[in-house]
Amino acid sequence: MARKMMLDDSVLEGEFDFDLFVIGAGSGGVRSARTAAGFGAKVAICELPFHPISTETIGGVGGTCVIRGCVPKKILVYGSGFSAEFEDSRNFGWDINGPITFDWKRLLENKTKEITRLNGVYKRLLTNSKVTMLEGEARFVEQHKVEVIQPDGAQKYYTAKHILIATGSRASHLNIPGKELAITSDEALSLEELPKRAVILGGGYIAVEFAGIWKGMGVEVDLFYRKDLPLRGFDDEMRAVVAKNLENRGVKLHPNTSLSKMEKMAEGIKVFTDHGDELTADVVLFAIGRKPNSNRLNLGAVGVEVDHIGSVKVDEYSRSTVPNIWAVGDVTNRINLTPVALLEGTCFAKTVFSGQPTKPDYNHVPCAVFCQPPLSVVGLTEQQAIEQAKNDITVFTSTFTPMKNTISARQEKTFMKLIVDSETDKVLGAAMCGPDAPEIMQGIAVALKCGATKAHFDSTVGIHPSAAEEFVTMRTPTRRIAAGTSVKKDYNMS
Amino acid sequence: MASSMGAPRCAAALFSSRGIQNLYAPISSWSGLRPLRKVSYEGLKISKQGNNCRQWRSVSVGTEAESGASVVRKKEEYDFDLFTIGAGSGGVRASRFAANFGARVAICEMPFATIASDDFGGVGGTCVLRGCVPKKLLVYASKFSHDFEESGGFGWSYESEPKHDWGTLISNKNAELRRLTGVYKNTLNNAGVTLIEGRGKIVDPHTVEVGGKLYSAKHILVSVGGRPFVPDIPGKELAINSDIALDLPSRPEKIAIVGGGYIALEFASIFNGLCSDVHVFLRQKKVLRGFDEEIRDFVAEQMALRGVEFHFEESPDAIEKAADGLLTLKTTKEIVNGFSHIMFATGRAPNTKNLGLEENGVKLTKNGAIEVDEYSRTSVESIWAVGDVTNRVNLTPVAIMEGGAFAKSVFGNQPTKPDHRNIPSAVFTQPAIASVGLSEQQAIDQDGDIDVYTTNFRPMKATLSGLPDRIFMKIIVCAATDKVLGVHMCGDDSPEILQGVAIAVKAGLTKADFDATVGIHPTAAEELVTMRSPTRRIRRSDTHAEVDGMVKASAT
Repeated sequence: MARKMMLDDSVLEGEFDFDLFVIGAGSGGVRSARTAAGFGAKVAICELPFHPISTETIGGVGGTCVIRGCVPKKILVYGSGFSAEFEDSRNFGWDINGPITFDWKRLLENKTKEITRLNGVYKRLLTNSKVTMLEGEARFVEQHKVEVIQPDGAQKYYTAKHILIATGSRASHLNIPGKELAITSDEALSLEELPKRAVILGGGYIAVEFAGIWKGMGVEVDLFYRKDLPLRGFDDEMRAVVAKNLENRGVKLHPNTSLSKMEKMAEGIKVFTDHGDELTADVVLFAIGRKPNSNRLNLGAVGVEVDHIGSVKVDEYSRSTVPNIWAVGDVTNRINLTPVALLEGTCFAKTVFSGQPTKPDYNHVPCAVFCQPPLSVVGLTEQQAIEQAKNDITVFTSTFTPMKNTISARQEKTFMKLIVDSETDKVLGAAMCGPDAPEIMQGIAVALKCGATKAHFDSTVGIHPSAAEEFVTMRTPTRRIAAGTSVKKDYNMS
Repeated sequence: MASSMGAPRCAAALFSSRGIQNLYAPISSWSGLRPLRKVSYEGLKISKQGNNCRQWRSVSVGTEAESGASVVRKKEEYDFDLFTIGAGSGGVRASRFAANFGARVAICEMPFATIASDDFGGVGGTCVLRGCVPKKLLVYASKFSHDFEESGGFGWSYESEPKHDWGTLISNKNAELRRLTGVYKNTLNNAGVTLIEGRGKIVDPHTVEVGGKLYSAKHILVSVGGRPFVPDIPGKELAINSDIALDLPSRPEKIAIVGGGYIALEFASIFNGLCSDVHVFLRQKKVLRGFDEEIRDFVAEQMALRGVEFHFEESPDAIEKAADGLLTLKTTKEIVNGFSHIMFATGRAPNTKNLGLEENGVKLTKNGAIEVDEYSRTSVESIWAVGDVTNRVNLTPVAIMEGGAFAKSVFGNQPTKPDHRNIPSAVFTQPAIASVGLSEQQAIDQDGDIDVYTTNFRPMKATLSGLPDRIFMKIIVCAATDKVLGVHMCGDDSPEILQGVAIAVKAGLTKADFDATVGIHPTAAEELVTMRSPTRRIRRSDTHAEVDGMVKASAT
C-alpha cells in the first residue's frame, strides 16, 4: 500500500488504487460492490467492526438489514408468533399439559448465531466476488481519496475513481429529559432481559412491529404516537385496521400522545406523557425515525451536499453533487427499504461500470409491515390515488374471517383492498392486512408491474382455499370516488 | 341468446344481487302477469319459495324471449328457466348468477351428510362438505405439530408432549360445515333461487323429477360433481375413502393410503401431522403424476423427512382383517400389516349414474363424465353441465368459473367460454405446492426453447428451528419471447404466494417483469423476483438425455 498511498489527486485516470471504493457494507453497498466487480471493476468496500448494536464505530458486514433490521426483526416476529399458535391450536384439538414457557435468552442466542452466520455469508460473497474488504471507519479526504481508521487506530489512505456512500442510517432519539434511559431498535433486538412492561414511542413500522413482538412474548405494551392512527403514509383504512388489530391483541394504544420526560426509579423507568399521565415501564423504546449516517464522513470537505436531515443529495442515477461520488440506500433517504437499496446499488453499478445508464424505478415498490397480523401494500394508497387521479377511482374492499379463525375462534379479520382507475381499469394500488399478507403481496406486485387491470384480476382463477384468492373474487365495488374529490375519510377504529 | 333485457341491467346484475333488487323494485307492477302455469304433471307443487320465484319471473322476461311480445306466454311453458341438479360450487354459482340475470331458478340437492352417498349430499357440495374446506381445516390442525417443533428453536418449551384430541377437531369442524351449508342456503335464498331437497333425475330434456315431483325447466344444468373411486380388490369394503377420512370417529394409529395423487398426499400430511404412522402406497415411481418433475421429487423428499413412508411402484392386491382387528394390505410387492385404517385415494369418478342422462341422449365420455362443448352444453340442447361431472379441470374455482360463464351465456346474453388456460392450483401437502402454467416438460414439448430458473433454499424460519424444511421454486421462460410459461413452488405458503403470480401471468408476465419487481423483504416470495441467472437453458437441439441429467443435478 505504501506506493499507492503516495498517490495524490493528480493521478491520471486508471491510476487509482480502486475503480470503486464503497463506504458501508450493508445491502446497497454490498450489492453495488459485487455487481461492479462482476463488471470487471476493481472494488474495495469498507465497513466498521461487527456488533449487534451499532455505534459510530461499530457496524458489521451485512448492515442494518442483516444485523439490526429486517432479519433479526423477522426472527423475533416468528418467535413471538408462536404464542398465538399455541392459543389457536386448542380448538383444533391440541392440548399441552402443563405450562408453556418462553426463554428470551435462548431465542437471543439463536438469533445472534444466525446473524453471525449471515455476516460470514456476506463476507464470503464479497470475497468470492474479488472485492477487497477493509475494516474501519472511512472518511473523505479528497474527491478521490478516503482515509480508513482501522480498529487498531492505524490510518490508511486509498484512492478511487468512484466512491460510493452506502452508510445507511441509525435510529434517532427524542430530545426530552431522561432520553438516555430509552433504547432504540438496535438495543431492543438484543436486550439482556425480556421486559415485563414496555413503553414504545412512535407510530411507524418499527414501533408497531415491536409492539407485536413484545406482546406475543407476553410483555405488557403501551404504544404512544402523535397521530390519530399509527403508520402515517400508509392507506388510512389500512392504518385503522392495524390499530384495531394491535388493540385486539392487547397492545394499549395512546394516540395523539407523546412523552415529555423520563425518570429512573427503583421499580423501573417512570414515563410522563404530554397529557400529564404517568406510567412505569422496564423498557422505553424510541422508534421515532432514523437519521442518515452522514455526519462523520467529512462530506463538506469534498463538496457533497446533504439535506436538512443529513441525507446525501443524489440525482436519479444516485450521483451526488460531486460527479465521482455516489450514494445509495438509506443514507439518501429515498425509499428506505433493503430491496430498494439493492435496486439502487444494481442500477448504480450498471450505470457506472457497464455503460448502461439505469435509473431505479420507484413505481410499484411493495412493502410490508411485520405487525401481527402483517400489513403489506403496493402502489398508491386510496388518498394518493384520489389526489393524483385524472379519472374516477373505484375501491374494492373485502373483510373476512380467515378460515383458520373459524375454528380457532380468534376474533380477527383479514382486510384487503384494491384501488382501480375506473377509466383505464388499471389497478393502482393493493393492500392487505392479515396472515401471510407480505407473501401474498409479492405476486400482486409482480402483476402490477405487468400493468394488470381489474379485468386481469377478475379473469384469474382462484387458488382455493386460500386468503389470496379473495383478490381475484372482488366483484362489487365498495365505493367510487369522483375525480377531483378531496374528501378526507374518517375511518373509525371501532 | 338474443334478449330484450338491456345491457345496463345485465351489468348491474353482475355486480350485486342487492343492486338488481333495487333495479326491479317495482316488481308488483308486474302482478298482472298470469300466475305460473302448473305443468300437466300430477302432484307438482310449487315449493315454498314459489311466490318469490313468481315475482322474479318478470325479470326474466328478456332472458329467453326472442321478442318482447311473445315473452310472457313462451316463458310460462316451464316452471323454471333453469333447474340445477346439485348445489355444489358450480351449481350454486350458476343458479345465483342466472337468478341475478333475472331467470327463475330452482336447484335441488340431497340432504346434508358428511359422507356422500346416493341419498345424501348437502348444499355446498364436495368443496364445502367433503373437500377443500374440511381438508384445509384438518391441514391447519395437523400443521400445529410442526409449529410446536419449530417453537423450540425460538425459545419456547413445554413440559409434556402436546396431545391431540381428534374428537374436538371433528366436532368443531362439523359445526363449521353446518354453518357453511347454512350460509350457502341463505345465499341461494337471497338470490331468489328455489331450493328443493332431494335427488334430481332427468325425465326428459325439460323435466326433472325430485322425490316423485316433476319440475319443468327451459334449461337443465347438471352439476352433481364426483365421488371417490375405489378399485375392485378383495377386501375393498374394509377400506375408507376421503369422505370417511374427513369424519372418522377416531384418529388412525397407523394408516395406509393408496394413491399418489393430491388427495392421497394431502391426507398423508394431515395424518402425519396428527402423529399417525403413515404409509403411502403408489403405483408410480413418483408422486403427483402430471406435476412438474422437480416438484414431484421435492415434495416427496420433504414429506419423507417429516415422517411419511412411501412405498413406490406397489399396487394393492387385497385387504384382510387380522384376528386382532387390524388390517393387512397385500400389494404387488409386499404384505404390510397392523393398519388401523386403509384409505383409498385412487381417483374420483363423475356422479353420472342413475341421473337419466344417457336415457335422454346426454353423451358421456368413457370415464362416465358428461361431454360438453366450450359453453358447457351437453349433446342435448337444453341440458348443460359444469364442474367435476364434466371432468375438465376438477377444481372448485373452475366449477365456479364454468357456472358463471354458463349463466352469462344462457341468461346474460353474453356468450362466455370459461378460459381453462393458466389455471393456478395448489396441493395442501406439508409443505404445500402451488403452480400455474406449464410444467417444464410441457413447456419443452410446446415451445422447445426454454430457460429454467430454479432456487432451492432454507427458509428463514428453518434456520432457527433447525428443522430440515426447504423451499423450492421454479420459473419456466420461453427463450424467444421472455414470456413466463410456468411457475411452480413447493414450500410454506406456496398457495398464497402464487395467486398474485397467476394474475401477473394473465396480464402477460415476462421474466423481465419479475426482474423489475422490487422484493418484499424478508419473505420467501421475494425469491421469485430475485432469480437472475437460469439454472439451465434448454434448446430444441439438445438431446433429452442432457436435459434429464440436468434436472437430476438441480434437484439434489
